[in-house]
Amino acid sequence: MARAYEAVLDAERFGADISGLLVRLNDAAVLLSEARMAFDVEDFEEATRFAESASEVGYKVVDEAELLEIEANNAQVHRSWWFLVTSALGVSVVLVASLLGYEYFKRRYYRRLSKMRPRVGVS
Amino acid sequence: MNFEDYRTLFQVGSLVFVLLAASPALSLVVSFPRGGESFSELWLLGPNHMAEDYPFNVQAGESYSLFLGVGNHLGHSAYYLVCAKFRNQTQPLPNASSSEPSSLSSIYEFQFFLADGDVWETPVTFEILGASVQGDSLVVESVSVNDRILQVVCPLIWDSEYSGFYFQLFFELWLYNSARSSFEFHDRFVGIWLNMTG
Repeated sequence: MARAYEAVLDAERFGADISGLLVRLNDAAVLLSEARMAFDVEDFEEATRFAESASEVGYKVVDEAELLEIEANNAQVHRSWWFLVTSALGVSVVLVASLLGYEYFKRRYYRRLSKMRPRVGVS
Repeated sequence: MNFEDYRTLFQVGSLVFVLLAASPALSLVVSFPRGGESFSELWLLGPNHMAEDYPFNVQAGESYSLFLGVGNHLGHSAYYLVCAKFRNQTQPLPNASSSEPSSLSSIYEFQFFLADGDVWETPVTFEILGASVQGDSLVVESVSVNDRILQVVCPLIWDSEYSGFYFQLFFELWLYNSARSSFEFHDRFVGIWLNMTG
């Protein structure tokens, strides 16, 4: 169960949707609680039966969580590449637009400055 | 404004737009701290699902109900264990300030997994099945929690100050620690006092 929970936590860290796995883990947790309580009252046969059922669910959850983790990891890599490409494109567009805009503004500024007539003040 | 001022304005504006354009890539390397505090909630409600009408005066053979709930605000999914315990006035309570659970053994337990932001709630039904008077003390011999019968030996001493045989049903919250691969007491417990004088 602990291994199943850790596998689910890993999948969650990669952004996988683990809601379905938590439902299955909760089913297993109920079985494990029953097993522990049966063990406490020395009903070892029932304890073994419940523990084995919980363990079975746990192993299935581990397999599914590992698959989900791989899927989520792939999606994250894909998303990262997409972010890098869009950022690189965006930054390039902004830089080119800034340089062109700066040149345009500089020319207009100096053209306007050259058209100005000097004023002569009389004291 | 002279040309130098315009140029500075232009550079600042360009830098802002560059940062905006680079924000998707920056989000991959810059992580913002999670707002708010990480904590778990533990609560106990009465039979009407309200914080009132809790059972107090109990009798053997009568069934009483409560609602027990846990809320996860830890920022990740959590694996919880709630231990129900039964004590008289002299037996130890958990010590939340030193993270020590009660040394008493649990009479019932709930294990469950909870996603971040979710709550878990379950009805708890309990009944005193067997009790006997021995001198000036009352010994609770068996209880039933959620239809599970457990043998307990819990002697209740007559409380002359409050005129009754008092005992407490309480619930401790434990949290699974992946690093240590074990459950640890999560410094939270709730309980109700019961009087078995009647």
